Amino acid sequence: MTQISPAARSVILAFADDEHLMGQQHTEWIGVAPFLEEDLAFASIGQDELGHAALLLEVLVGPADADIDALAFYREPDEWRSCPLVEANLPDWGDTLVRHWLYDHAEQLRWELFVDSSIPQLADLVVRAESEERFHRRHADAMVEALLRVDDARQRLEASLARMLPLAMSMFDVVADEADAIAEGVISDSFASCLATWQDRVDARFGDQDWAATGAIPMTARTGRHGDFAALLSRIREVLDLDRSAVW
Amino acid sequence: MTIYEVFLKKDGRDEFRHAGALDAADDELAIIAARECYVRRGEGDRVWVVARNAIVTEDRSFFAPNHDKPHRHHSGEAVAARRREIREQQAAEGDAP
Repeated sequence: MTQISPAARSVILAFADDEHLMGQQHTEWIGVAPFLEEDLAFASIGQDELGHAALLLEVLVGPADADIDALAFYREPDEWRSCPLVEANLPDWGDTLVRHWLYDHAEQLRWELFVDSSIPQLADLVVRAESEERFHRRHADAMVEALLRVDDARQRLEASLARMLPLAMSMFDVVADEADAIAEGVISDSFASCLATWQDRVDARFGDQDWAATGAIPMTARTGRHGDFAALLSRIREVLDLDRSAVW
Repeated sequence: MTIYEVFLKKDGRDEFRHAGALDAADDELAIIAARECYVRRGEGDRVWVVARNAIVTEDRSFFAPNHDKPHRHHSGEAVAARRREIREQQAAEGDAP
């Protein structure tokens, strides 16, 4: 296993935490998405994200499930490096769909930062992740495109977008030691460097946004937790907490 | 929403087989839903989705009468049975003292 520096760990952990919570949020729609086919598709996409999270955590702690679980589930809230976009509980399906679109288009840009990573496992992971992510984006694009064709659905999606953009900007809040990870060659550039490209994609899909007026929630270098985080973590741990030593 | 019928083909020489149906808003969403609903565990490596209303058919009464025309069946069973009967009859006569 490659030696992982503290800066590399921070950057990988931030990505893993985002993937983990995004996957968790998606899978919570199983059984309650608007129709059965979407229910299955969305849960399947969520499973892929959970898989990416596990593979990223494996880079940090090795392949043993117990080690991955300890890191994934039993950190204190201030040790997480997820962003508020993936921590927020969204009861509205429109908000959820828009978040899926915004997140997955940013995720593609984020993986690309690892293409030539000094950590070979990460470079391999990019190929694996993108083979799944292209279907996630196709799903998000097709859903959004179909809904934007219908007037009342378009209005709902636009309202969702207005609610989601400030939260989504939090994706580009980066961990404090990201610059060291760039210097070490773990990633090629800051995730924040992808912001303009991502904004262009948002404009192309949803129409030009007034980015100057789009407020962002306070940036904390991913140390602050969204108000919904505690309840989310407790749902994630609900079964595990019954018996931490259980073998599945 | 449109109902689509889903057909899968497994690797190798199997033909496409009907796997089920799904609801989708358009063709693109139908093929995406088919991927997630019917082949996420590798049940097939080729998929057709066909809008149900694109399938040409007729109701059962249009096809049913042909079930009842034995003279159109060409399995040869009736002829074989008749020839067997004659053979056995001839054999019985030949064996007679």
